[in-house]
Amino acid sequence: MSDFSIPRSQSTPAIQGNWSEGVLSMQGDSYPENSYELFHQVFEWVERFLQDAGRPLTLELHLLYLNTSSIKAMMDIFDLLEVAHHAGQPVAVNWHYDKRNERVADLAEEFKEDCTFPFAIVGF
Amino acid sequence: MTRDQRDLDELVKRLLADPANSDHPMHYALSQLWLAHRELLNRIERITHVSDAYQSIAREREMSLAERFDKQLRQLEKVARISDRYQQMMRELNIALEEASTHDVLTALANRRLLMERLKAETERAGRLQHAFCVAMVDIDHFKQVNDQHGHDTGDRVLIEIARVMQAEVREYDLCGRWGGEEFLILLPELDLASAQVVVERVRLGIRKLAIRQGTEALTITVSAGLAAHLPGESYSDTINRADAALLRAKQHGRDCLVLAS
Repeated sequence: MSDFSIPRSQSTPAIQGNWSEGVLSMQGDSYPENSYELFHQVFEWVERFLQDAGRPLTLELHLLYLNTSSIKAMMDIFDLLEVAHHAGQPVAVNWHYDKRNERVADLAEEFKEDCTFPFAIVGF
Repeated sequence: MTRDQRDLDELVKRLLADPANSDHPMHYALSQLWLAHRELLNRIERITHVSDAYQSIAREREMSLAERFDKQLRQLEKVARISDRYQQMMRELNIALEEASTHDVLTALANRRLLMERLKAETERAGRLQHAFCVAMVDIDHFKQVNDQHGHDTGDRVLIEIARVMQAEVREYDLCGRWGGEEFLILLPELDLASAQVVVERVRLGIRKLAIRQGTEALTITVSAGLAAHLPGESYSDTINRADAALLRAKQHGRDCLVLAS
């Protein structure tokens, strides 16, 4: 499996999957009309990484605005991580937010609620 | 199995096993009947067993469906909750953006954009309802010297303090704004020149009383002002120009005073 990269657009975040380093990063806003199209490739990449790579996986998220279907997609991805975590696989999420907008931290906190794997909310 | 049945089973088995009965004409018939009976019992037991298994599969499936349904429901509730909060965040950001686009960052007074919007609306209202309004241009005297002698931080503090006094001294429905640099505009709806003069003088004297601490000394700031009443049929930029011309005369007359436009 290889790396993948989706450039940022008006309504979608930039996304990079680095297979060798085990890092998935996202930056920007996410309110695509068809979020399935965008996120299914991310979901598949994460699923395959967890199955094949045998390495720790870290998500580096710099997300600001998410529409409803993007929220659902992120929760599905976190569910994947949760299952992997229960199977003893090391996974982690770092959710970065601009300290000028503390609300993003509160929202990250909501996502974190049901996750038992390491989930850091980091202000910059 | 009831007691009677068990007794009957025992009796049949005994009769069939007894060698004395082996030649009896009914022995064969009874043994066949016995076999058929046993087989039927076995079959009933198997059917019961299979049926029970099906029932437990159906029950398990129902339970896992209920579990999945509950999970989906919880997820849906969470998605909705988070989504609501994102929308709330966007709404507040919009309000902040609106505020930022219509107000001066330093003084929090209306900015030029908002002033022009209100001037335009007020001009239309005046044309429609024959209501008067006045425009005052207020300029800080020797502001360049304040900046040069005391630094820009002090200059900024002067602007902020003056904005605060202006806001406090005008009427509730007057609009104060920063027109640019050290120049302010006050829009006074529903007032003739004489009444507006009272308000602007109050602002001017209020600013003059202000003592802005600068180290050990207190800075005294004065302003010059020009005031014009909007004339019927006049564009608001013409009114501003006449107020500006009056302001210029106030500066020429030695500053620290208010001049009414002709």
